[in-house]
Amino acid sequence: MKFAFMCRDKKKNTGARVAVIGAGPAGLTASGYLACEGYDVDLYDKQPLPGGLMTFAIPQWRIPPERVVNGAKELEEKLGVKILLKTKIYAGEPPHEEGDDFVEKKVNLEDLINNYDMVLISTGTWASKIPRIPGVEAKGVTTALEYLYKWRIYEYNYTTTKPPLGRNIVVIGAGYSAIDAAEKALKTGAEVYLVYRRTIREAPAGLYEIERIKREGVTFIELASPAEIITENNVVKAIKFQKMTLGPPDETGRPRPVPIPGGEFVIEADLVVFATGESPTPPVKSSTAEKLGLRLNKDETIAVNALMQTSIPKVFAAGDVVTGPSRIGPAIRSGLKAARSMHYWFSAKTGKLVSFSEVISR
Amino acid sequence: MSSNPVIKYIRIIDLGKCIGCGACEAACEFIHGKPYIIVHRTSIGLDIPVSCMHCAKAPCIEACPTGAMTRDSAGAVHVITSRCIGCMACLYACPFGIPELDRATKTASKCNLCMELRKEGLEPACSAICPANAILYGEDAVVFQLAKKRVAETMAKARFEYELHG
Repeated sequence: MKFAFMCRDKKKNTGARVAVIGAGPAGLTASGYLACEGYDVDLYDKQPLPGGLMTFAIPQWRIPPERVVNGAKELEEKLGVKILLKTKIYAGEPPHEEGDDFVEKKVNLEDLINNYDMVLISTGTWASKIPRIPGVEAKGVTTALEYLYKWRIYEYNYTTTKPPLGRNIVVIGAGYSAIDAAEKALKTGAEVYLVYRRTIREAPAGLYEIERIKREGVTFIELASPAEIITENNVVKAIKFQKMTLGPPDETGRPRPVPIPGGEFVIEADLVVFATGESPTPPVKSSTAEKLGLRLNKDETIAVNALMQTSIPKVFAAGDVVTGPSRIGPAIRSGLKAARSMHYWFSAKTGKLVSFSEVISR
Repeated sequence: MSSNPVIKYIRIIDLGKCIGCGACEAACEFIHGKPYIIVHRTSIGLDIPVSCMHCAKAPCIEACPTGAMTRDSAGAVHVITSRCIGCMACLYACPFGIPELDRATKTASKCNLCMELRKEGLEPACSAICPANAILYGEDAVVFQLAKKRVAETMAKARFEYELHG
């Protein structure tokens, strides 16, 4: 991936330093643009490789990881972007998030903001949501993100710890991470169930993907919602599901799944994988954010204006940490938008006017 | 109108490799202000990117009454805005529904395979950014061979898996 697809060489150096937090699609593309425009960019990431979910969750057959890593290398070699890996940026004491296994260095967000001319936060959504039902604390319950991540670090030889195996693996959800987790589980030789509370027609991954993994051998069960994880000695034994039916549209516009009274069934399982969404992981807790002057929204996304600028003028944000879980395309779009805003904002602030043609061409 | 270029460049979208992520659309929008490659979610849930095919015998060029729709030396079909009257005869002629009317300039607009980037010796934004390597851009002979190589890889994989698992 050519993250600096818009330029051949770095323009005249502005002398300004930018820190980008998170080397996923938004952070990498923003770094590319800012480096093109002559900024010195330091790109931080907690992982041992750049790329975010592109290298650590999305299957290799969908995105060849070397394409992402080579793209990042090109940013370093051609445009002088410094990529600082295994480094976690946080204000206050960081909570454990998924994919924190390789953090060697911690940098305080406040120091970072003070040490750079501008900061871009693009830390994504590295916290999986698990419904609060009995038994979710048991051994054998995991999330799609964690499951896929553990397989990837094992395949990259970053660890010798084998990811959790199972004979009966139940994946809950019907988005892309559910599909990818179910397909991975199938490859380990397990019997795999994919259970979704709405129908195949509402599946976020789409009819095509669900039908595809059904053909591969996954059993798809629609209109069922997990009610309880049945455990023995705190180890998963089975899952009790509640049968659902579709009701009137909910706030997302999709039909709301409504429980059918008395409709329950049990599926035996030794590994349960929740693919029921991810939450934003900004580099600060909401209480600390307030002290810092960084406004977060109720859902923990970072509040930004139309320029992707946060409540701290020199701090911008982009990608899933602003929008919630999306796709690579929207993340890139928002990264580019934020980067361009940063360039315009900084140029205006320092009196280096952006050329008229540069503005009207947008 | 169309010259005889020494090297002809071509773009092929490999739908077998496309993951529907929309990176091409985002990069295109960044360069042009609006996207000329759009990833459509279809009724069966498969995402399909649609953009100009840059046809070798382009009906839009034939249909254009003012000679505004033309081809550059690399092979890219594009609009010369100053000649365009915004009649959209090109859209009527296009089997893929590609040309659009730009509200501001009242002229047809479409993908030009990132003419500005190509002048700098860069490749079109869509193929440069694609994470799945689904957009092939290059000299025609090279792209044609690469497309076949991919089919060969798929066939080999199918044979291998068949012999392995029956």
